[in-house]
Amino acid sequence: MPVRYHHPAAAAATTTTVAALMKRHHPGLSWPQIQDGPMRVACHFCDTLQESPRLREGDAAYCCCCGRQLYRNRAHSLARAVSFSSAGLILMVIAHSFPFLSMKSGGLSTRLTLVETVFTFWGEGSPLLAVAVTFFTIFAPLVLLGGLLYISVPLRYGAAFPGSLTVACWFQRFEPWSMLEVFLLGILVSLLKLGHLAHVTYDTGLWALAGVVVCTSAAMAGIDRMELWDRLEIAQQPVTERAA
Amino acid sequence: MPEPAALQGFASCHTCGKVSVLSADPAAETARCPRCRTPLHLRKPYSLQRTWALLLAAGALYVPANLLPIMEVRGIQGAQNSTILSGVITFWQMGSYPVAIIIFTASVVIPLMKVAALVWLCLAAQGHTVSPPRALNRVYYITELLGRWSMVDVFVVAVLATMVKLGALMTITPGPAAVSFAGVVILTMFSAMSFDPRLIWDRHRESLLNSRNADPAVGDNAYGPEEKGISTPTLLHNPCDRLRLP
Repeated sequence: MPVRYHHPAAAAATTTTVAALMKRHHPGLSWPQIQDGPMRVACHFCDTLQESPRLREGDAAYCCCCGRQLYRNRAHSLARAVSFSSAGLILMVIAHSFPFLSMKSGGLSTRLTLVETVFTFWGEGSPLLAVAVTFFTIFAPLVLLGGLLYISVPLRYGAAFPGSLTVACWFQRFEPWSMLEVFLLGILVSLLKLGHLAHVTYDTGLWALAGVVVCTSAAMAGIDRMELWDRLEIAQQPVTERAA
Repeated sequence: MPEPAALQGFASCHTCGKVSVLSADPAAETARCPRCRTPLHLRKPYSLQRTWALLLAAGALYVPANLLPIMEVRGIQGAQNSTILSGVITFWQMGSYPVAIIIFTASVVIPLMKVAALVWLCLAAQGHTVSPPRALNRVYYITELLGRWSMVDVFVVAVLATMVKLGALMTITPGPAAVSFAGVVILTMFSAMSFDPRLIWDRHRESLLNSRNADPAVGDNAYGPEEKGISTPTLLHNPCDRLRLP
């Protein structure tokens, strides 16, 4: 099946130039799209079928019926996704290795880490909460940042690692369940309560956690879902079809 | 009002957004998105039934979440149980108003508003109430956005139970309400995810067509010629320009 590209210069491109085309950053231009038939998008809110024209960088398309944003072309999207998700993963290692808070009172000292929280719930007889906290604060953020990194690093070179489609599906499913920012708010709220009881010191982990939260939201906001899927679709095409 | 994609035989994938042809015959129930292999549906299957069922379950769990103690404080003065509301009142009396407001908003106002919003959305999708669909869109968007923040109360209990382990001096343990409250938050999140906002617009289109058919001058059952086929989205460079759209 011949595959035509939206990009004007790509019409007669060979495999090598197509790869080069997708690798290079085009200021002011849209991401490459596969074209088999007219490109369409349906609004997720009101189901209005619309054309999906290519956008200049910084532009956004809004539904003509209900006004919701359909997709948008973010500047430097892949670079942002790669850099923020790798920074977030590094900070996550730091956040797990150092305590968030430590408290000393009457010769006893306690420290707060994510793993410690899970063990407390497990030991105090609520294993369900232990599982939920593990999922929301350890597993889901890891899948989110790791998944985004796994997809977007090879996409910068116009390729895809094996299983990228599955990873992208899971990454999107886990997005609402990553609750590190809520956990951070929980720490701040309980700080005000703990402050009356004993002397509490902030540790490296807390700043790292704040960094993870900032990097996660920046990485998620950095790339449009439609761009991610369009690029993945092209990268998944066999090389022989690309050259055709 | 433009014609929806479903009437033209197109389904958009819920995961990746690709629009593909989906025939209406029952064999097509197993159709999958060509791009990401997610099962394709014109509308989320059993959307309203699932939303109602999950809402009822969340409402049932909301009672023990508020009546049972969310944490137990054992100290020199003996054991003391605190529920969600008594915790808020304690903070208010201690003079830490911001904390009291945050806890009250996250664990009382947001869950109640969320349930109320979903009930309203379901009633509107079933045609029992009539509201402007754009306003309902916004209600749904905010409901999905705010839902996760209710979890803050469970995390506060987690942090306090981990930190306050000072032996005989003072020890905090999580109570049974913490599990029920986490259940309320998770169930309302699932409930909001299973709701399909396109049902509201289907209802709106239907009522528009009905009122048009009642007019003898039109007398046509279908969409007008300018409403058929594919429309064009609005392209904007500055997101603030969106406020100036009609």
